[in-house]
Amino acid sequence: MSNFLSYTLQSVPWGCTFALVAVGLVLTYRATGVFNFGFGAEAYAAGVIYTELFDHGVNRVWAAVIVVCVVAPVFGAVLEAGLFSRIPVGNTTAKMVTALGVMVVLPSIVQLFPGTGNLQAPFAPFFAPVIPIFQVGSFFINGIELTTVLATMVTLLLLMALLYSKRFGLPMRAAVESPKLLELTGVNSRSVLRSSWMVATMLAGLAGVLFAPVETPVTPTNYSIILVAAIAAAAVGALRSLPLAVVGGVALGMVQGVVQGYIPQTSVWYSALVPSLPFFCLLVLLLVHPGMRTLDQSSDPMMAVEPPPPTPALAQRPPHINRLIHRFRWILAATFALIVITFSPGPWIAALTIGGAYSVIFLSITLITGLAGQLSLAQAAFAGIGAATTAQLTINQHVPALVAAVAGAIVAGGGGWVASLPALRLRGLPVTLLTLCLALLADNLLFPTSWIGGGANGLTVPRPHIFGIDFSDVDSKSFLLLVLAVVLAVSGVVHVLLRGTTGRALAAVHASPVGAASSGVAVRRLTMFVFFLSAAIAGIGGALFAMSFLQESPSDFSWFWGPTFLVIVVTVGATTVEGAIEAGFGYALIAQALTYLPSTGSSSSNAVQSAVTVLVLSFGAFTYASHPEGIVEAAKRGIATTVLRAVPANPFERVGRKNS
Amino acid sequence: MSTLLDVRDVSKSFGGNAVVNHVSLSVEDGSSLGLVGSNGAGKTTLFRLIAGELAVDSGDILFQGRTLPPRADDRARIGIARTFQIVELFGGQTVLDHLLVALQAHQRRQGPWRDLVHGGRTTPEERAACMEILSVVGLDDRAQAPASTLPLGERRAVELARALVCGPRLLLADEPSSGLDGGETAQLISIINRVRRETGLAIVVVDHDLATVEALADHVVAMDAGSVIAHGTFAEVTTNVDVMRSWLGVTP
Repeated sequence: MSNFLSYTLQSVPWGCTFALVAVGLVLTYRATGVFNFGFGAEAYAAGVIYTELFDHGVNRVWAAVIVVCVVAPVFGAVLEAGLFSRIPVGNTTAKMVTALGVMVVLPSIVQLFPGTGNLQAPFAPFFAPVIPIFQVGSFFINGIELTTVLATMVTLLLLMALLYSKRFGLPMRAAVESPKLLELTGVNSRSVLRSSWMVATMLAGLAGVLFAPVETPVTPTNYSIILVAAIAAAAVGALRSLPLAVVGGVALGMVQGVVQGYIPQTSVWYSALVPSLPFFCLLVLLLVHPGMRTLDQSSDPMMAVEPPPPTPALAQRPPHINRLIHRFRWILAATFALIVITFSPGPWIAALTIGGAYSVIFLSITLITGLAGQLSLAQAAFAGIGAATTAQLTINQHVPALVAAVAGAIVAGGGGWVASLPALRLRGLPVTLLTLCLALLADNLLFPTSWIGGGANGLTVPRPHIFGIDFSDVDSKSFLLLVLAVVLAVSGVVHVLLRGTTGRALAAVHASPVGAASSGVAVRRLTMFVFFLSAAIAGIGGALFAMSFLQESPSDFSWFWGPTFLVIVVTVGATTVEGAIEAGFGYALIAQALTYLPSTGSSSSNAVQSAVTVLVLSFGAFTYASHPEGIVEAAKRGIATTVLRAVPANPFERVGRKNS
Repeated sequence: MSTLLDVRDVSKSFGGNAVVNHVSLSVEDGSSLGLVGSNGAGKTTLFRLIAGELAVDSGDILFQGRTLPPRADDRARIGIARTFQIVELFGGQTVLDHLLVALQAHQRRQGPWRDLVHGGRTTPEERAACMEILSVVGLDDRAQAPASTLPLGERRAVELARALVCGPRLLLADEPSSGLDGGETAQLISIINRVRRETGLAIVVVDHDLATVEALADHVVAMDAGSVIAHGTFAEVTTNVDVMRSWLGVTP
């Protein structure tokens, strides 16, 4: 019994860390209407600045004060003015994409600065750090822990006072529901929303400062782990109740502490179950908590005065530009293939092969996001499942590699189908959270298991051997051609679905589920199919990816790649097939080009290179509200329109143009 | 005439609040039924129960003598179409696309199988069928316009055309005149009546506008607090004492 008590009490401070972040998420959601996926990234940036200030001789307390009270609110105001104020209230998809953009881009920006790779954080701003401050029996609490507990309590009280006060809280809550109505009552809703953002980022700053000493070195991974655990805590209060979020956070910490205490450290369960406990909780809450299902249902009576968010179908390209591309696509493709086969040096062949694999994975995002309008964060996990299945079948069962890849696609598709079952009842944010949950569970439970993902070292994946052609040379041009053929086939399938009856019906479901059902559209069947096919395509992509490295390694499909891939595809263009292909090759080729930059060869310079690659391809997440078709796609349309205007081709070219 | 729709002793409650309370009514093939009552009387909930958007707590709904399938899309495909009080259109899709979605769903010529095996292009027959319905509702010159850009009257017409394109046996019209001016309402009524004459379509119409109900409905059922309080011809129901008190706000 005393063991139980000490396990429970020991983990209260840890639970308070969850609670603090959960409170931040709830406050941001309630005060700005945005589910802030970027919260962990903001906290990470704050942790880095806090550490850097301390390293430059600033006192711990002052460093904390500067970060929380100066840097954070300014950053919050910048976020609001630069990004979130431009999104119409009802466009929840754009809000999510922008927040995911912050999540992916901010750590990349921070990592561009030298020396941020391996930062050792100073101690918590208050109290003597590691010495026990007080002790009850065998249980004692040190300075870092005491700071966390006190900060959580004070923050909770202050925020509740703020949120429920007539003077500040009332307009804050009203601004989320309907900024336009609030303005009609004579309140400047812009400034209310801006102060909400400032308070919310201050919380992120506080969480960053407090969390830095708990988990050093300061890395984005540590912060995103605490973020996703905190989502589970926030879900206890359905992202709406501050006290319940705190209760959820502390309870989650305690349960984790108890489980950690009782399961022997050598057990398989220890490494698998303990970290994934919050994700199980989140999954269960998403499925059973009625409050979580009704998230995202905007009730703004003034929504009708804003134009509705464009449907995926409308974000498609105008027909005259399609015809222009249609005319030249084979010439372009043939030229590309010719250049590749004749001129490319070895490393570029390898990069192009990887680019092809990325293209296939990205096409799965085109299908589920561009076609069905769902933001899935699990595509990287599905790719990983495809890769792991392929590896296991080829190595242990001696199945031919191509057959194994198809089997991998089917297994991954099965995962997608499972994900679609709860998604039938949910829409928007809950679906995104659900896919995030699945990705995290795959990352923690499936990939580290030796008979699935092969554990930390991964598995070797042989390349296929067909018609006497051996593709196993690393710089093999024949393997590149094989990959290109798969890209072509998959893009053909996605293209036909996008332009055909499926695309039209899914756009209808996305715009109005009741209207589509009342018209006889088989909503369930189509949704399940899209989830299945999208995951299966991701599985093929994952298998190709693993084959191009001759190695399946779980870190290639870590959950964080899910949001990153999504943001990259959305930037380049999620509504067209070439968008995904350009994103895939662009990603691999930019990464390859960056290897020519002067490099110190250290791991931090690799981190910088990967950060630059992500940065170059993800800034478009911030323009999603105005360009849901993708910023690169928007530029292409602009150029094509200019070209068409300058060169009036045959008169029939203009027939398809709409007069309206 | 045979009974098309038979609602038998249907109840539905939300959180202990009985919104539809032991309601029975029937609609003959080709006839029209007006459903009237004050706001909150349970009319729209009854519609949603018939359309399959909600499941009944107790009771049966029979269509052409058979139990209905549970889901809304299956019911739409066997001939129950509906329009909505607040129009439910497919965002920025064109008017023609709205009709194509419904037509292809109805003909079960929609989905990946058709796209991958038969090609996803719209056939001339499908286009012609949609254009015919559009000319009935007077929107043939609007086929390529995005539906979200149309005025409310035309958006209601798009919804009606989408409902009609599948050749339904029963149309559930939820407040078709809501938000329309007199001229638009008259036009909508004449379209519905014309389609009924030509196809023998049965309708159930909910409306607060007495003239609309009178123009569209042969029989009228009045509801209050989830129960049927009167039924008969328009004249009989509107002179019923309970109806006058609860719905028309007149004390006889």
